[in-house]
Parts: sequence; C-alpha cells; structure tokens
Amino acid sequence: MALIEAKDIVKVYPNGVLANDRVNLAVEPGEIHALVGENGAGKSTLMKVLYGLETPTSGEIHLRGQRVEIHNPQAAIDLGIGMVHQNFMLVNSFTIAENIVLGRESKRGLFLDRQKAIRDTEALSKQYGLYVEPMARVDTVPVGMRQRVEILKALYRGAEILILDEPTAVLTPRETQDLFAAIRNLVKEGKTVIFITHKLREVMEISDRVTVMRDARRVGTVETSETNEAELAQMMVGREVFMVVDKPPCERGKPVLEAHNLTYINETGRTLLHNASFRVYEGEILGIAGVEGNGQTELVEVLTGLRNASSGSATIDGVSVLGEGPRKVREAHCAHIPEDRLTNGVAMMASINDNLIVDRYYREPFTRFGMIDLATVRENGSAMIQEFGILAPSGELPVGSLSGGNMQKVVLARELSSSPRLLIAAQPTRGVDIGAIEYIHQQLVDKRTDGLAILLVSADLQEVMKLSDRILVMYNGEIVATFANTPDLTEEKLGLYMLGAERQTSEEMEQNQ
Amino acid sequence: MKQRRGQFSRGQLALLVLGLVAGLSVVYVISHEVFGGFGSLDTQPDYQAVLFVNALVGISVLLFVLELRWDALRVVLTVIVALIIGYGVTAAFNLDAAARFQRGEFRVQLQSQAEVPDVEEMDLEYGKARGGEFNQQNAPEPLTEASYRFAGREGDTVTIIAAVTRQNIEADLEVALLDESGQVLAESQDSTAEQIEAYRPDLKSTKDAVIENFALPADGVYTIRARPEAIPRSTQISEMLSKTRLAYEAFLLGPLDGVLRWSFWVQDALTLILLGLAIAIVFRAEQFSLGAEGQLYFGALVSGVLILAFGDVPKTLLVPIALLSAATAGFLWGLLPGALKAYLGANELVSTLMLNTIATRFYEMVLTFQLQPEDAGYTASDWFSSAGILDPIVENTQVTIAVFVVIAVVIVTWLLIRRTPIGYEIRMIGANIKFANYGGVNSRRTIMLAMAISGAVAGLAGAHLGMGIHRKLILNISVALAFEGVVVALLARNNPLVVPFTGLLYAYLRTGARFMESDANVSFEVVRIIQAIIILLITAEALVTFFRRRRILRRGTVEIGTSTPPPLPGGGAGVPSDTVGSEEGAHV
Repeated sequence: MALIEAKDIVKVYPNGVLANDRVNLAVEPGEIHALVGENGAGKSTLMKVLYGLETPTSGEIHLRGQRVEIHNPQAAIDLGIGMVHQNFMLVNSFTIAENIVLGRESKRGLFLDRQKAIRDTEALSKQYGLYVEPMARVDTVPVGMRQRVEILKALYRGAEILILDEPTAVLTPRETQDLFAAIRNLVKEGKTVIFITHKLREVMEISDRVTVMRDARRVGTVETSETNEAELAQMMVGREVFMVVDKPPCERGKPVLEAHNLTYINETGRTLLHNASFRVYEGEILGIAGVEGNGQTELVEVLTGLRNASSGSATIDGVSVLGEGPRKVREAHCAHIPEDRLTNGVAMMASINDNLIVDRYYREPFTRFGMIDLATVRENGSAMIQEFGILAPSGELPVGSLSGGNMQKVVLARELSSSPRLLIAAQPTRGVDIGAIEYIHQQLVDKRTDGLAILLVSADLQEVMKLSDRILVMYNGEIVATFANTPDLTEEKLGLYMLGAERQTSEEMEQNQ
Repeated sequence: MKQRRGQFSRGQLALLVLGLVAGLSVVYVISHEVFGGFGSLDTQPDYQAVLFVNALVGISVLLFVLELRWDALRVVLTVIVALIIGYGVTAAFNLDAAARFQRGEFRVQLQSQAEVPDVEEMDLEYGKARGGEFNQQNAPEPLTEASYRFAGREGDTVTIIAAVTRQNIEADLEVALLDESGQVLAESQDSTAEQIEAYRPDLKSTKDAVIENFALPADGVYTIRARPEAIPRSTQISEMLSKTRLAYEAFLLGPLDGVLRWSFWVQDALTLILLGLAIAIVFRAEQFSLGAEGQLYFGALVSGVLILAFGDVPKTLLVPIALLSAATAGFLWGLLPGALKAYLGANELVSTLMLNTIATRFYEMVLTFQLQPEDAGYTASDWFSSAGILDPIVENTQVTIAVFVVIAVVIVTWLLIRRTPIGYEIRMIGANIKFANYGGVNSRRTIMLAMAISGAVAGLAGAHLGMGIHRKLILNISVALAFEGVVVALLARNNPLVVPFTGLLYAYLRTGARFMESDANVSFEVVRIIQAIIILLITAEALVTFFRRRRILRRGTVEIGTSTPPPLPGGGAGVPSDTVGSEEGAHV
C-alpha cells in the first residue's frame, strides 16, 4: 500500500491557470521517488498541495490509506510530511541549533535551553549522517550545510516523508554527492523521500521510481532501473530529444581573445584570480571547468569589463579591452550571456523591445540624429521575437511578464544577434529546462561552426565536456590544466584537477594552447 | 499579434473617445464657470487667452487618459478617496466649531424711566448695562451664563435687552427675569423685527432677546439671567453639514470663481508642472533626489540677479538669457549631488536635502545683504524692471508666457525620456542598474545627467516664480514647493505627458484650499491632510503592484504555462493572463 497518495488532484489558480490536471501520485514507503518535469509542468504545485501550501480545486490526498485534509503546513508537519524549499527558510542571525529547534524549543524558565538544543542537534545530525555545526550562525556556513539544516529541521519535527524541492539547484557537484549520500542514509533510517528536479542525470543516480509531469498532467511513473535518460527526456518534452548535439569537427581560425596574466584581488585583499593566461580562437568553444567559486565568475566579469583587473591584459582581435567598462568590450564585438541572467541580463520592468537594444541603442539605425527611432526598435523586437521563438504577444510588454525560459531567450536573442566575434557564455543553461537546453546547445555549436569564438563557463561538467573543443580547468583562481577535448578525456580525470589534487606544468598547458 | 502604428484596436478607440469627451467637458465646465456663462464673453479682457489655456487643460486631460489608460481611473479614484476623507476631516473641524459657535461678546441693558432705588451692592441699575464674553476661546473656564442682580420697586416698568455687541457674532441669546426666590417672572429668546427697529442700535438681530415693559410685582432684588440658547444636537449637526458643504463648495469650485481666481490656479499649476517634471526625470532613473527645492532657489536667484543687474537690456534678449541661466544654475546644482552619488556613493536623498538647506540659506543671505534696498520695510529685492518680467497673456493676472515655456519643457522632457539615447539610459538604470551596466551604459554619467537635467527644469520653475509671479525676489519664494512636485510626479507615474494633468489637478486642490480658508474659515491644513492621504494611497498602491508583480513573476517562472500551447523548442511558457508592469506597458 502506498504511504502517501494524491488522487485526481486538480488545481486551478485564481488567474485561470490550470496547474494540475487530475494528477495521481503514489509514493511507496521507504522509496526515493523522483518527480521530474520542465519548468511550469506543475511539480511544485503538486508538492505545495501535499504540504498544505495550496488547497487543491478538487482531488483527495490519502496517507496510509486514510483520507486526509491538509489545509496548512502545520497540518502537514503533524502528519509527518516535511518540505525543504528551494529558497531556504532559516533565520540567518540564529545559530544552526537555534534554527533547528525554533518553534519546538525546550525552555528553561523563560529562556531557550541552548544546551539541550545543541545536544538534540548533534544527536540528530549523527543519527542521519547530516553533518552540521550546531553553534555556527547560519549566515556564516556554506549553502550545502544550510540545506542540511533545513532537512534536520524537518526531521526534528518528526517528518516521515521529506519533500525536497530542486535541492541540487544551489549545490556544487561535490555537495550534491554529499546530499545524495545523506538521502540514502535517510531511506536506510526508514524515511521516504520525494525528490523534485529537472536534471535527469540525478534522477537516474538517486531515485527508485520516477514520475514525469508535463503540461499539468502526469505522463507516467516508471521504475528507474527500467528506463534511461533519453526516454525520460522524451516523456518530459513530449517529443524526441536529441541529447547529443550535432557537432561538426572544429576548424580553428586565428585567436580572437588573448588573455595574459589576468589577476584580480578583491577589496579585502584576497586573490580570486591569479595569472590566468589563455587564448580563444575563431571557430572553437573553449570550456572552463571547475567547481563553482574558483574564480570563474571573476574571470568573466574582468573580461567583460564589469570588474577591473588588478593586473594583466586582454585583447579582442588585438584591441585592448581591460579596465574600460562593458561598452568598450561590447564595441570590440564581444557578446556576454551573464551568469545571473534575471539580475543582470534583463530589466524586468522594461519592455522586451528595450531589453533587446541595450548594447546598441546609441548606434545607427537605432539612433538617428540624436533621437531613438522607435519604429526600428519595434521592428528589431518583432524580428527577434520571431527568430528566437520568444513567446510574447507584443514587444511592448515588460520582460517581467514572460516565463523564465522566455526571458532567457530574450538574453540569447540580444547577444547572438549582435554579430559578435567572441561570445562569453556563463552558465548558459542554468535554470533552463531540457527542451531549451537542447536549443541553446545547438545554437552555441552552430555559431561556433560559423566561426564564432566562444568562451563557455559552466558548473555542469557534462555540459562543458559535451560542447567544448578545448577545456581549461580552474582551481583556486588559477588555470591548472588545459586539455584538448578528446574522447579519452574523462570526468574523473578532470575531477582530479578540479579538486586541486593535480595540476599540469606550464609546458603541458602550452601544448594545448 | 503585432501592433502597428495607425491601426487602432477597439480599446484604444474607446480610450480616445473617453479622453476626448472628458477633455471637452472639462474645457466647457471650466470656461463656463470662469466666465459665469458665455453670454457676455466679449466683455471679458483677454478671453481668448483664457480659452486657450482652458483648451490646454483639456489637452492635458486627453493625454492623461491616453497615456495612463485604465490606470487613469486609479488616479481619479485615489484623488476622490482623498477628497472624501478630506471631507470627513473638514466636517470634524466644523463639528468642533459648531459646538462652540455660541460665543462672543454680549451686553445686557436694563432700561427704565423709574427712579433708581438706593440699594447697595447691586450688579446693575436702571439705565446701565453690563457685558462679557460667552464661551471665550481658550478661556480656562468659559462663561456660559451671566446673572446680574438689581433692585426694583413695585410698579417699575423695566425693559431688558440681551444682545451681542457686533452684528457678526453668531450667538443666539436668551434672557430671563427672576425674583428673589428664583421664580422666572418673564423670559425672552428672540426679538421681532419691530423690536429691533424700536431698540436700534442696542438690538442687533432677531437672535437677541428682549423683555419689553415688564412691570415689577413687588419691591425687592431681581436677577437677570442671560445665556446663549441651548442648541439641539440636530441643529449643531445641520449647522456643521451646511458649513462643510459651504467649505467644500469653496474648495471645489472656488478656483473657478472668476478669471482672477482662475489665474491663481493656473500660475500655481505652471510651477507645479515644472517641478513635477523635474522630479519625474530623477524618479525615472530611480534616483530619489529631492533637490528640486534648492535648484529652484538657485534658478530664481541667478535669473533675479541678472535682471536686477541688467534691467535695461531689451526684453527679447533679457528674458531668454535669464531663463537659460536659471536652467543652467539648476543644472549645476543638480550635477553636484549627482557627482557625489556617482563617484562617492553618497545617498542622493541625504545630500540633496542638505544641499537644499545650503541653497535656501545662500539665497536668503544674498537677498538680505546684497539685493534688499536700504529703505525696504521687509526682506525683498527691488521690483524687476519691465524687461525682466514674463508678459501676462491675460490682463491683470500672473498667467504669463510661462505657459509656452511649460509646454516646451513638457515636450522636451517627453522626447528626452522616450526618444533619446540619454532617456533610454535613464529608463534602463531606473529599471535595473545592473542590467544597464552590463549592457554598457555608463551609469555614473547617466545618474549625473539625470539629476542635472532635473535640476535645470527645477531652475526654470524658480525663474517662473521670480519673473512671472512675484516680479521680484522675496524671502520664502518657495515653501517646500518641490515636495508638492513629488506628489505631482507620483500621481503621474513619472510620465512627462501626464504631469501637466496631475500638476493642474494638484494646483487646483491647493488653490481651492486657499479659497476654502478665506471663504469658509476652514484651515488650509486640510489640503495637507488630503496630500498626505494621496501619498499614502499611492505608496500603498505601489506596494500592491510590487507584491503582485513578485507573485506573478514567481508563478510565471514556475507554474504558468499550462494554458498555453505545448512548448516550442526552448520550452517555457506564455505570458501570464494579467500582465504586470502597467507602467512601461502604458507607453507608446
């Protein structure tokens, strides 16, 4: 008998959007059940219904065969259902122990019994193999630990069923592995885990069974051992997805970007980027692999003019671009897909048309005789909307009214249409669903085949290996290895360099320049 | 899917019709009221100019409707709600007044032909009068009743008059004659017209009381008791309501009572429109600069000094130069906090407020020690020579050619924001400064320019005050006018084409409040309350929009998309059904 079962859940939002259409979900006790689907498929809504954050329009929830009504999260917690949200809900200025016992704390007189809180936290931490530092303040610990705190918090409240909402979105590969180990431990201790994601690789790695959702409906539930990524992708997208991009061999031209001894020291005196030297050639994708936070962000920001390098030089087609701001870089025909697109890549309140011209508004034909030509701006917007398949009824609408995927396309449309010589793409597929990933990958490869030089920075090692012609590895602000992307290059090998266990000599690196 | 120029949808057509109808009716009503009917139009001096300005008011209404679309309704609603609450406040003010309105000085006269009995320690005697003040304001123990004793003999015929001392005192008196045991022998509450005639000037109105020719029944000491008549609560309330109605009539129709009053409204509106535009420019860039006040002072000072120094230069040269220098002064005074913000990260709110004080005090210093003529009785400069004055376009008013300056500034500001690269930069740093930086916009330069351009417009407002309205430099040439500009800009959602309407609207309220004060004796502070309510409502509305947008963005990225066709390559979802960000969407 299923431990928790959602029967024919229908959820219609007040604005008329149908988010769940007669969805059924049955989770067996002690299993890791993955729930996958593209953005907007209705996964989160279903989980919010189970956790009492949304009331279903119709449908029933059964727990251990009994029908239950879950009107609010407190009711869910009382029934042993816990949820870890994508955005952590912790009090940053409290210690970890305080956060865990918050709301259920034992008091000594009027005061919190700190010692007991710490003891409880330690015991819980040990029991489930989720390492945390009880005395540390939440805002001082890494993201991975904060997530463990969230999980412990749910366990402390007696959760038997844990819902994890895209838990790996914020984690580094290493932290992801730690999390997976912890999840297996939880199951061993008799808990049941529902795991929401859209990364198929993780599904294959961790889950026992998978439920796929698409367009508010359940497409199907399968045993993980009896399926594969391609099949799941097809279920998610509703058509065949070519996980392999069509990539002709690399025909490398002359160097476009030449970076020499780039160094960046931040305000507090930490060296975040140290003597990075490399070249990106016409018609190649140079991938940068590395665990996040090893200087990739700084490298991109220095190259695109958003930060000033402490020393070093960089030229695009022989023109020096360092230290003169983003305009100079863009005028040297460098396009930039920023890492945090929704913060830097678009202005939500401005119209799509306005968003599409931020790098070119001051030039002909957009500005003529000191005035912006609105007709040209409009035509440009309509052309892009069509060419890049942005789902928007009009270019006058604010970008903020678009879905996440379409906002990404606005960025992509602008950057790829600027006839660049060099494209710096930072995490180009982060937060993007599978169909869009396929599209972006193909776009990048096609442009590279047409002669564009691309610098690809991604935390997703698979993506780097799939797209790149050459790969640099960054560790601790330095480039520690350079590889030609040959079939014998493995993730394991790169991993050794990414974790700093090995590094190449400068001669070795020179070979692959 | 696409909207092309010149191709109107049904909604746009409806808006156009609505705007035209609203605009035309406003023009008709205003003109009709101002002229007191159209019958004797050609006897009015410069009636064409008045009609012209009224037509501009109509155009501003049309623009307001076309630009804000259905948001225009919200603005109107906001103002109506504020007016209703203001009505309540006025009513409360009047209720308080009604409770105390039986007050003022009174006199009690005792008249008789008989001989005065020789009794000591009496309050009154025949042929004498006593008086006092009922319910004196601020008195610790206000007098509510007066009693006077007098001695009389049997058969003496007395006449007792209780009357207010001045015609305009609104107390309704009553008087009674009591014997020694406290028995009421005679009483009176009102007087007749004949009595008023007979006892003029002692009796003033029918509200006064008189006991006529009463024959005393015995020898002894009698008491006269005078007091205001008790007014029933219902009378108080109807009194309050009628006063409030009068006050609101003065408030809402006062500015249309003749061309002179109309001109007060228009000249105030011109100032507020300029300041509203100045604020709209910086707010567009999300810079919360409140420096318009200081820039205004500098604009007024520089143009004023120039005119005082070169009063004999021909008008066609002096006026443009003075206006230009006022704009330049404002520009520079705006550039300063802009540079402080751009290069040192100084918060513009704090720096502009401080710079305002510096500008104001500097203005006062120059005015007091340099410009004020020796023999002047108060702090002000000499009158400007006629070459330095903006010519009135309506005779005997201060509705001047500043009207054309304002029209020009509105158009220029609109073009600047919508149609120029710098305007694009201003809008982008306002929408998301990180995005602007990423796209290559020089945000430092843009911040400085936005604040400086705003300063230039505020400087022009200062010139308008000096050259158009006061025709000399006076102390306190602006009392926090720039902050009224904030309300104007907020109401207009920082849209330069809407600012004329909101400026006119807000100036109308301000002028109306002045007339309410003079006509109905209700404090000008009521308009402050209305202003505060407008700001509160707008802020609250902005918060609602903010939260709604956040909610939609969250849902938009995570949950929406099921009602749209299956994802194209690249997946993702359509546009949420209720679109956000009416602000940007409203344009073009």
